[in-house]
Amino acid sequence: MSSSTAKPPVVQPGAGNNIIISPTQRGNPVLECIRNVGKEFGDIAADYQVGRTTGVLFLSLKYHRLHPEYIHTRVEKLGHSYGLRIILIHCDVSEHREPIREITKMGLINNITVIVAFSYEDAGHYLSTFKQFEHKPPDLIKERVDKDHNSILRTALTTISRVNKTDVETLKSSFGSFANIAKASNDQLQNLPGFGQVKVKNIKNAFDKPFRNRA
Amino acid sequence: MPGLLPFHKSIIERIHDPATNDLLVLARGLGLRRILCTLMKIYDSPKNLVLMVNASQEEESEIGEELGLMGCRNPGLRIVDFEKTNKERQDLYKKGGLISVTSRILVVDMLQANIPTELISGIIVLHAEKVTALVLEAFIVRLYREKNRTGFLKAFTDQPEHITSGLSPLKNIMKELQLRSVHIYPRFHQEIKKSLERRRADVIELSQPLTTSMSEIHQAIIQCITITLSELKRSNTSLDLDDFNVENAYFRSFDIIVRRQLDSVWHKVGPKTKQLVNDLGTLRRLLTYLLSYDSLQFQAYLETLVASNTTSSSGVLKQHPSPWMVTDAANIIFQAAKRRCYTMSPSTKAAERPQVIDVDEEGWDALDEIHGTVGKSSRQNTSRSRKVDKPFWVPQGMDPVLEELPKWTLLADILKEIEGEIIRQESLPPPAVPSTVVPGTNTALVMTSSTREAGILSDFLSDMDAEAPPGTLGRKMMIRKLYSYLAWKGKLNSQQRNDGRGSGSAFAATTFERQNSTALSEALKKKDREKAERSAGRRRVRGGAPSSTTASSSTRKASVEPTLIDVDAPGDSNMEADSFAEFWAATQNATATAVESATVVDADDLDFTSTELLVDFDTNYGLLTPEETVVVRPYSDDGDDSILAEMRPKFIVMFEPNMDFIRRIEVYKSSNPGLAVRVYHMVYGDSCEEHKYLVGIRKEKESFERLIKERATMLLPTLEAKGPGSTSNDALLKTISSRIAGGRREISTTPSQVIVDMREFRSTLPSLLHASNIIVVPATLTVGDYIVTPDICVERKSLSDLISSFNSGRLYTQCELMSVHYKHPVLLIEFEEDKAFSLEIVSDMKSYVKPTAKYPQKKGGGIEGNQAVTSLQSKIVLLLLHFPRVRIIWASSPYATVEIFQELKQANPEPDPVKAISVGAENDAELGAGINSAAEELLRSLPGITAKNVHYVMSKVKNVREFCGLGLEQVQEILGNEPGKLCWEFMHRGE
Repeated sequence: MSSSTAKPPVVQPGAGNNIIISPTQRGNPVLECIRNVGKEFGDIAADYQVGRTTGVLFLSLKYHRLHPEYIHTRVEKLGHSYGLRIILIHCDVSEHREPIREITKMGLINNITVIVAFSYEDAGHYLSTFKQFEHKPPDLIKERVDKDHNSILRTALTTISRVNKTDVETLKSSFGSFANIAKASNDQLQNLPGFGQVKVKNIKNAFDKPFRNRA
Repeated sequence: MPGLLPFHKSIIERIHDPATNDLLVLARGLGLRRILCTLMKIYDSPKNLVLMVNASQEEESEIGEELGLMGCRNPGLRIVDFEKTNKERQDLYKKGGLISVTSRILVVDMLQANIPTELISGIIVLHAEKVTALVLEAFIVRLYREKNRTGFLKAFTDQPEHITSGLSPLKNIMKELQLRSVHIYPRFHQEIKKSLERRRADVIELSQPLTTSMSEIHQAIIQCITITLSELKRSNTSLDLDDFNVENAYFRSFDIIVRRQLDSVWHKVGPKTKQLVNDLGTLRRLLTYLLSYDSLQFQAYLETLVASNTTSSSGVLKQHPSPWMVTDAANIIFQAAKRRCYTMSPSTKAAERPQVIDVDEEGWDALDEIHGTVGKSSRQNTSRSRKVDKPFWVPQGMDPVLEELPKWTLLADILKEIEGEIIRQESLPPPAVPSTVVPGTNTALVMTSSTREAGILSDFLSDMDAEAPPGTLGRKMMIRKLYSYLAWKGKLNSQQRNDGRGSGSAFAATTFERQNSTALSEALKKKDREKAERSAGRRRVRGGAPSSTTASSSTRKASVEPTLIDVDAPGDSNMEADSFAEFWAATQNATATAVESATVVDADDLDFTSTELLVDFDTNYGLLTPEETVVVRPYSDDGDDSILAEMRPKFIVMFEPNMDFIRRIEVYKSSNPGLAVRVYHMVYGDSCEEHKYLVGIRKEKESFERLIKERATMLLPTLEAKGPGSTSNDALLKTISSRIAGGRREISTTPSQVIVDMREFRSTLPSLLHASNIIVVPATLTVGDYIVTPDICVERKSLSDLISSFNSGRLYTQCELMSVHYKHPVLLIEFEEDKAFSLEIVSDMKSYVKPTAKYPQKKGGGIEGNQAVTSLQSKIVLLLLHFPRVRIIWASSPYATVEIFQELKQANPEPDPVKAISVGAENDAELGAGINSAAEELLRSLPGITAKNVHYVMSKVKNVREFCGLGLEQVQEILGNEPGKLCWEFMHRGE
């Protein structure tokens, strides 16, 4: 994409498909990593406005270590604007436990969600995805039913601990259907290549033991 | 129950004192269970409450049985697992006695005060080697010691090799268990040496060379391992990989070493390295399978491997097969493995398979023939099948080779020798004093490494043709196996073709021909099964007498049923077998009652009753005496001791080397003075088996030496220093420290507490929360995993959980629920302690959680698996866009989570358990009941089942199996029309 290098055109802030970037972010390496969406600079309370109601503050932990008060002043300035408020932390120090804990707590009080990115690439990706997904329906993460038989079977059987995909193949080829696998006896399972006692026991536990005991 | 040996006695003397807490490390095979049971017997009364934790299910039942045999029925060992309700458990605890509890249940009970912790007389911890700061057992000990300073705690382990984690592993274990003394008893301990080396068993070591093709495969696998290892080294030059050599790669622990080495950089290594690490495991398994599977099964496993390796689940050809699979060595493996089964003659390759209908009739006849059945059609077939070695159903152009494992022939020879020896002994004049010493039976005990092997061996022995030239003794069995192999292979192939074609229409497209052939194989299979059942029936009758000896343990019988075969089985007729089977059914009841009454008397009497029964059998049906029976059993740890004691075999064949079992024989021999035991010890010469055995011995010795050294220099944990008097002081400290952490001026009257979902006790977080002085309140929560404050509800996800629940859509539903019921719904993403704190790690797990077609890499040298990372992060973004109120906690380890929780609890009111439980719980009627999470997970993963209806389904059916057995209408009735149909079709597709 050439858009990452091209000068962003000047458009009305808040409209269109561009991420609006606060001028304070000029020179941030993250800008290079925002791909596949348009970018423009504009006067906003957040660092990045990645949607009509979504504002992102960017914080490098290295910077935070030097200026711990910075993020608080930014949050204060943010006030109550935006519906979805995000602090994007760039985790670039090894002593991250303390600052992340502190920022998490602050976020909870101020209704801000924390996202931790582990590289500039990562951070840039988050920013562009927010814009791209702005109007996307949640189908991607909802329960779906359109998967094909084999992958459901694999997902189902591998929930049992110690069962791997080779075993799924073996089960499928020896018994055929899921219902037949459920009916398989201990000995039948035991005789399959690659099936030890523990694996057989786990499988039987999952299929034969009751879900709940009734009081 | 044989008496204790002198060293057993001295160990018990040292550890029995209820005023001390001890850790006992004993070498494997020296009778840890016997010591344990003797110790537990002391406390068998309602006045005591002794808990046993960390025992596996088999161990629980076996220990219970052994205690029963020792006369503990006051009321003996009782077992608490998830099938018992709250109330039942409470009653049980109140009654006292010996109780074995699953750790997860015990923790919850201790937290909910279902168990009177202060009244516990003692806790016995098995498998102490597994105890670390993060496991539930450590949590239990902490809870126990909080309220109870007088009770004892005894920990046991017989796996010194596993005590390796950290700088001072032994000290860590002792610290977690709050113990001060440790007793180490290796095999080379003075007392043990003295007890065992007075009488030695007569051991004959037999080294069997591999066949040419087997050693070819063996070498090729070793070569593959070497290649994989050097590849691994090459791609990770920065790591200290000195331990990476072929010798170490034989062991399972090697995987752990590799993972530990790579964990710190695991997120940086590419999928290639991960594949290599996986491959090492596969190759190691192949090596053991080579020596234990028959040639056909080995071939079948190889084919499955190839099949699962070349295609991904969606049927697309995989682009990165395991590197070893494309080497020359792998080619040798595949070729040689195939050559061991059959060869294809090229001349007839073009010829089609014979007409299906023809094969049908004749195939059955041929099968009958194989089974040595004298059917009505067999007379005319006899001549034919004698001259053709190849049955009719073998495809043309295929010449079955069916190489047998060389140990089979060796075993047959040994059994012949044993037979001769028995006859020789019998011809000798009886010994002068026969009455005082109970002589061993002439039963030959064959020990194998797995149940599967035991099955194969008993098959082999029952169908053995003693006259055949060596190497083909088990031809009959192998032909039968070939048959089922061919049937299986047909299925695999058709399946693969289906896979290749995609999901939808593949089924309809199945050709008529194939349908025919599957129908045929089904029919033949059924026939086969019938045969197997019949022959099983026969076998059981033959071995009826000794089996009733061992059958006194009905629970054990269920898991590892001893299979009994007569050595020189003549080809009995089908009719005979049938009549035996009928007879068996009729007498089974009688035998069962005999056994039941026999359990009250001790083992010696048992032997007597069984002989009596045998006489009965003998006179009526002319069956073989136990002198000529062979029992094949897999090694089964401490259970073997009681088998030896019950069967009293004079001849033992160890089909595979096993250090523990040799010790067991030593103990058995020493506790039965005057018994001449002969042991045959079989090893494949120059194979990994031999090497593994020797290295195993060395490793155990070294780890013992290390432990002894550590004990000598150990600084004892100071934790124990605060005596019972200081508990109040402790509490004060707690309040002060929580006050400082909270930054509050006033002393809080209510201690801080977190409500934790029952299901969460599998994770380490509850234990750590408790360790940091937060009260953990267990409850069955419908919404969320942790309720931190009345407003904050946390859903914890480990990385792999996160991915799978994004894929299944569960997370969406959970966030929906949390948002409805709580002001601050929180998603906690928890990374693992010693792994890298980074999302890139995900690309690894992603590959099998939801494989997608790989896109070509856009940039050279970019982060590998970038696509995978992207999609997880995009999903997080999508989730946040739809639930703007959901907060995310990023915790680099469970310890970090605890800190964050403490921070969140500051200046906030405490959550109310009653309210938390009632939230969203309307649809789950079975609160507080035991949960079988494995079954629940499996059910959830079926199509048509959602987080909303899963509880309803669980209330309708008992288990997954029952659910699978329902008809279409019934499933639709539960799930509704469309999802019901979907679900039913999923379950029954491929039938």
